Amino acid sequence: MIQYLTSILTEGAIFGIMALGLNVIWGWSGDFDLAYYGYVALGAYMTLVFTIGHPLPPAQYIVGLQLPYLVAIVLAVLASMLAGLVVGLIALRHLRGIYFSIVTLGAVYVVYVLASQYVPLFDGYNGLSGLIDPMGDVLGLDFKQYQYFFLGFSLLVFVLVYLFLSRVSGSRFTLALRTLREDERASAAFGRDIYRLKLKAYVLGAGLAGLGGALFAGYLSAFNPSAWQPIEVIILYSAILVGGRGNIRGVVLGVFVMIVLIQESTRFLPEIPGHPNIIPALRAIIIGAVLVLFLRFRPQGLLPERRYRDREPVPNAKPAPVTTA
Amino acid sequence: MHELLLTLGFGLVTASILALSAVAFTLEYAVTNVANLSHGEILTVGAYAAYVAHRVTGSALVAAIAAAVAGGAMALAVHTAVIDRFVRRGTPAITTFIATLGLSFVLQNVLVIFFGASNVAYTIPQGAPVQVGPFSWTGTEWKIILSALAVTAVLYVIISRTKFGKALRAVSQNRDLAAVSGINAHQVAAATWFLAGLVAGYAGFVLAESVGSFNPYFGFQFFLITLTASVAGGLGKPFSTLAGAIIVGLALEFTGGYISASYELAFAFLILAVVILVRPRGLFTNARRTVFE
Repeated sequence: MIQYLTSILTEGAIFGIMALGLNVIWGWSGDFDLAYYGYVALGAYMTLVFTIGHPLPPAQYIVGLQLPYLVAIVLAVLASMLAGLVVGLIALRHLRGIYFSIVTLGAVYVVYVLASQYVPLFDGYNGLSGLIDPMGDVLGLDFKQYQYFFLGFSLLVFVLVYLFLSRVSGSRFTLALRTLREDERASAAFGRDIYRLKLKAYVLGAGLAGLGGALFAGYLSAFNPSAWQPIEVIILYSAILVGGRGNIRGVVLGVFVMIVLIQESTRFLPEIPGHPNIIPALRAIIIGAVLVLFLRFRPQGLLPERRYRDREPVPNAKPAPVTTA
Repeated sequence: MHELLLTLGFGLVTASILALSAVAFTLEYAVTNVANLSHGEILTVGAYAAYVAHRVTGSALVAAIAAAVAGGAMALAVHTAVIDRFVRRGTPAITTFIATLGLSFVLQNVLVIFFGASNVAYTIPQGAPVQVGPFSWTGTEWKIILSALAVTAVLYVIISRTKFGKALRAVSQNRDLAAVSGINAHQVAAATWFLAGLVAGYAGFVLAESVGSFNPYFGFQFFLITLTASVAGGLGKPFSTLAGAIIVGLALEFTGGYISASYELAFAFLILAVVILVRPRGLFTNARRTVFE
């Protein structure tokens, strides 16, 4: 049971980081980005190629170094940010609304097809494996202790991300992003550089996706195309929406509700022999249905974002006297 | 030269199926301003309906009708149960768009529960080869091309010559204005979705027939290409979409034939990215402004 709780909490922390990153893009900046899982996957793949060493034939992949896990995490985050920058530069320039979403959907499928079909990149469908207990050897931990250590490590990263974002959340940068989300033209009229702001937010989000992916790779110790489907990003969207889009406290609540509660409560349903797919399918149906219902009935989520109001109008303000010449 | 013609022949088959799916998708968009991400599932439902009907009756014609009817019913249900409720509330288009993604997720997994996640083989006799001009097609492929032409012709007549078509065009151009002119926009939209569903369900049947197997995710994969074709042609404009479908269908078959079929999807999106960046309103529309909304 303890072991089981450890694994749920580790997954929860990792998904929490991913959801917080997506919240920067969708919650604050207001862009419905479908490429997000691509940055998660890129982070995971890059972490692996930087840590598992030279490919042994017939396996093929790029880089193939044996760097310490922490260094690999940093490099993976940078790689995801770079990818986010490239996509953002193209997609955020003129495209908004569904056109932005469609282009990002295209981008992630290009990555997916390359990762799964172009073998020299990340060994195609076989994927990468062999990152076993990163940092465990150095610290001299055995398998059991290691689980708790990795949980602690993931929670630590999660808390750091949360604290960082809660600072960012009140900053002028985020306020400016929110104005873009509400009314881009009005914001531009007040001198905001829309493209730069949105691009910054997008790259920040992609970096957090890469961080989540890097931890995910350390947790799973392997990664391949069947471990991720671009469209599963919908799970993160439902978590953000249920919790409260734009409010990081809400996002954490949403991750708890959608990923921890729903995932885990359906795990105890009795399996029907011969139909192994039914439980995961039910879980997916619940997630999709919750997304639709929340969009329709409670789009602000359980913990709505604080709305900024106009300052109180100046009492007894009179219109400027009209001077007649 | 011979190989070129062969590829062109295959390309026309792909283009026909793509045209059916893309025109249906663009009709849905035209009347509700919602890019329906669960469009692919209408094709999947059509394929399953055809498969079941074919096994029960053994007739391809019944299978085709079953696919169309199932697709139509499904599209109507999606519109009535979800889309129209969002539209009535005046929800922003992007919100409804996100909802259709959730819906797609739900529908795929409902199909998994009913039919399992594995591939279903759907092979029907391909019929005697047909020689048309320089092309040589199997009987099935020839039927696909002919039926796509027929469906398009019928759609053309409906959209441009009937009273319903006029209402459809009015709603598509300006929903509010159409509504104050006495058109019941909700009814017109529902009827259009039903019509689009008929076409998409049938597209699912011919796609399953030409691929030979399918699973609950099969419609979604084809939808990604459909999206490319519709946006490349011009979203919401049935006849521009048709042109887009033919170009994308041929382009895919040529890159598939000469480069590698496994990169088809990536290539489709490259086409899309280029088109969207150069002409966001589509290749065959007149609007020159970029999309900034």
